[in-house]
Amino acid sequence: MRSHERTARRYAKALHDVAHEAGAVEAIGQEMEQVAGISVGDAAAHDVLTRPWIKPADRRGVAMAIAQKVGARKLVQDFVGLVAERGRADHLPEIVAAYRTLVDAELGRTRAQVRTAVALTDGEKRELSGKLEHALGKRIILEEQVDATLLGGFIAQVGSLIFDGSLDGQLARMRQRLARG
Amino acid sequence: MIRVLAIAALLLGVTPTAALAAEGGGGLINLDRSIVIQGINFLLLLLILGKLLYKPLLAKMEERTQAIRKSLEEAQAARAEAQREREEHAGKLQAAYAEAQAIRAAALKDAAEEQRRLVEGARAEAGRLVESARNEMAQEVTRARQALRQEVVDLALSAAERLIRKSLREEDHRRIVQDAIGRVDKVN
Repeated sequence: MRSHERTARRYAKALHDVAHEAGAVEAIGQEMEQVAGISVGDAAAHDVLTRPWIKPADRRGVAMAIAQKVGARKLVQDFVGLVAERGRADHLPEIVAAYRTLVDAELGRTRAQVRTAVALTDGEKRELSGKLEHALGKRIILEEQVDATLLGGFIAQVGSLIFDGSLDGQLARMRQRLARG
Repeated sequence: MIRVLAIAALLLGVTPTAALAAEGGGGLINLDRSIVIQGINFLLLLLILGKLLYKPLLAKMEERTQAIRKSLEEAQAARAEAQREREEHAGKLQAAYAEAQAIRAAALKDAAEEQRRLVEGARAEAGRLVESARNEMAQEVTRARQALRQEVVDLALSAAERLIRKSLREEDHRRIVQDAIGRVDKVN
């Protein structure tokens, strides 16, 4: 798994350098996310891209066709074609994540994963982002995930920092206090 | 010795008889010259007896006396030796008795010390066991209390959770989210 991540970081770094030169770091990231989403979500595409007995040239063609279909630029098409040709298509989600980390670090921002009981309104998202940016001194990108198992409120995680604003957390703390007596 | 006595008796018997027969007189002793001869005989006899009988007798008596004295001394020495040995034995016996007494006393002392040590050890062990049992019991009670408390808390909070899930409305969710956002300031 760690070698998987190392390989993904190497590809992401190469793509980031090229994207930087092209001056389209953010856009390329979004296009890569779309391609990776299809390569993982579409079972047929995933099978073709990851089967080792399929010819590298065919894998490259399929990958480039997928990228072209989502409207990705030539650079992204060539990159995913290269990745598929070398039999690394199953690394695409990690490559995208590593690329995102590089871009976020470059732009001085960080991502906050927010698990919430009900979907946040736009106003709440802005307010939460603002509060987190103020608290952490970094630009925050919220990645929201609605979790129906939560009673109420939300849990936000930024790196190793976790802010628990959920009713579940309050009940858990109350449970601990009561159990301790 | 017996020979000397026989010779003396012969001389005493023969000499006066011979004098009387030579005189042919009728009395047992005649007061005449024969008395001188008898006196001389007597002296000769006395001399001979003294020489042949009395001195050897005295020597023999002395010898016997010496022998008896020696025997007495030997007996005395033997008695003294026996006494000494008896005393020595008595001393040894006494020493052995004293030693036995000392050994017995030491053994009794050791036994008493061992008994005291065993009793103290048993008492300490019993104390430890009692203390351990007491601690274990206290821990059991604490654990039971904790488990009971945990069970009560779990039941109460599960009921509360079900109640909250059932009763929460949209505006409640919004208020909870707003409250949580308001507390983000305290992250630092």
